[in-house]
Amino acid sequence: MVSSAWLAPRACSVIGAAHRRQGKPCQDASLTAQLTGQGGQTLQLLAVADGHGSSRSWLSDRGSALACREAERAVAEVLAVTPLEDTTAWETWLASGLAAAVQRRWREAIAADWKQRKPNPPGPLEPVTYGCTLGLVLLAPRWWGCTGLGDWDLVAVTEKGSASLVSEEPSLGPQASGEATASLCLPEGPALWGPRAQLHPLAAQPQLRALVLSTDGVRKSCASDADFLALCGQVIALRSPQELEEGLAQITRQGSGDDVSLAMALRQRPPSRRWPLAAALLLAGATTLAVVGLVRRPTAPPADPVLVQQRALCADPSRIRANLTPRRAQLQQLRRDPSLAAQLLAAPQNDPLGALLARSQRGSLNPCPALEQQLMALWRDAGGKMPAAAQRSNERPPAGDRPAAPGSR
Amino acid sequence: MPFPNVRLSNRPLHFIYLCDCSGSMAAQGKMQALNQAIRQSLPGMAEVARENPEARVLVRALRFADRADWHVQEPTPVQQLQWRDLEAGGITAMGEALERLAGVLQSPPMEERALPPVLVLISDGQPTDDFETGLATLMRQPWAQKAVRLAIALGHDADLEVLQQFIGPEPPGGGRSPRRPLQASNATSLARYIQWASTAVVGAASMPASRVQEQGDSNVNIPLPDLPPTLLDPTDDVGPLVW
Repeated sequence: MVSSAWLAPRACSVIGAAHRRQGKPCQDASLTAQLTGQGGQTLQLLAVADGHGSSRSWLSDRGSALACREAERAVAEVLAVTPLEDTTAWETWLASGLAAAVQRRWREAIAADWKQRKPNPPGPLEPVTYGCTLGLVLLAPRWWGCTGLGDWDLVAVTEKGSASLVSEEPSLGPQASGEATASLCLPEGPALWGPRAQLHPLAAQPQLRALVLSTDGVRKSCASDADFLALCGQVIALRSPQELEEGLAQITRQGSGDDVSLAMALRQRPPSRRWPLAAALLLAGATTLAVVGLVRRPTAPPADPVLVQQRALCADPSRIRANLTPRRAQLQQLRRDPSLAAQLLAAPQNDPLGALLARSQRGSLNPCPALEQQLMALWRDAGGKMPAAAQRSNERPPAGDRPAAPGSR
Repeated sequence: MPFPNVRLSNRPLHFIYLCDCSGSMAAQGKMQALNQAIRQSLPGMAEVARENPEARVLVRALRFADRADWHVQEPTPVQQLQWRDLEAGGITAMGEALERLAGVLQSPPMEERALPPVLVLISDGQPTDDFETGLATLMRQPWAQKAVRLAIALGHDADLEVLQQFIGPEPPGGGRSPRRPLQASNATSLARYIQWASTAVVGAASMPASRVQEQGDSNVNIPLPDLPPTLLDPTDDVGPLVW
């Protein structure tokens, strides 16, 4: 039985332009898999893994491939004993159980790989030799979930084509160094999965069209986050695997030079029952009006990137924390130097979330309650306070900008 | 369907010199040696940039004497940089220099996609202003925390303690390390250190290599390359002890 909720899962990894030039292997890996559980239940899996590029991680290409393979096996094991309807159990698995299982399997796999290497490598195995990140997306007929650790990104694309970050690596703290990321090789690895774990019933996300999972090389190749989100919004329309591969090669060539991986799946559109007659009538009417020159198409004003960002966050409040928390440093800078807000607001399309923070500082934002609460907490943590104007309860956004109340969907 | 048309970009790598231009730099040809070392390093730096097109190497320089001021203010592609000589005269406003530096390491103007910057502090003396406040201001900037911070001490009057504070905690054990101030005692060793910072370090910082965040290594932002030989190594021959 094939999951009817998701279409065309695909994954592709392309060697980075820098690694190609240096004669190094591709240290990224990715896969899609269809797993069958109890009673023929089907779960689709997307996975991407990114091996660390430093000389200490000289087998990280093997590490990332083994991470994807062992993740698939671990998820299959869970599926064999856990019905997909038991979302509570799956939520727990995503947050902790799967982390422990994948990490254990990965360590066993790299130990076996180390032992089989010829000639025998000197010294004992150090897991950092195989170090890599791992991002997983699970696609069930009635829900989707994600988990993992490291600097991968997950983007949700709506039916209208707008894209927003669903998950990114949280800040590793003020002392985190340059290009540092969490890793499967860390002893505390399993504890780092929890903040990345999410599970969402599809019924609560009627506008969700696709999910795009990528390694950090893709995002770092784009000039801005706005470009990255635009890329994710458009890439789901690619039909040919060759187009995707060529596109990823272009991304690394013109961008970061890093290995790049992308895995994605489209949600099955529910069949429209009223389409044939209604659409035919509408089409006929519009054509007639156009012919006689009565249809005037007003030019739609460009969407306000901040409002688009706000709506995306408010439509799914579970994303708010994941998106805002990494912006603490930016908020502190805004607090110290309010003139930075003008720069962010001058080009909101370059950093919509930054511009949203700037508006919150100026009190010109009407956030939904969940966003407002998180913003207030963030400003409080930064040692400041969100201006009162942004907190006025009598200036709520239209209902469409707010998340639906529980049970209202 | 054509691949999505979005703006792709290589990643800026900001390389910033902080040069002591106090009066003592005029003595024993130190300023002349520094100008020459930087000027001579540029072709090698440009070559490294050419070999790593994924990084856009942009150079700036900040001078400090009585006051701190930009010597090369605009982030300049290394291939286009024409080095103008620095001149010595005045005291050592190192703390003010760090505050000026902090101003450009904010986001914005720092690009969200930038690689960790490389900051090279070169001094032959002691700060005459509030170094601690300047350093604290600098280190509040996330980009300063992420930066590769190097320091070159010219001669034996340089304050190694403040240079070490700029770099970060000293690594355990003895011996030479890029995590300690590099001590240049003549024009040759200075040139070698400048060459090393502008080529080997820039090359390492240009690599698209993510790395694991391990406990206790918060101050090693990129794996630094080996140091060049110096007079401290008895097998080297880099000229006489001058400074």
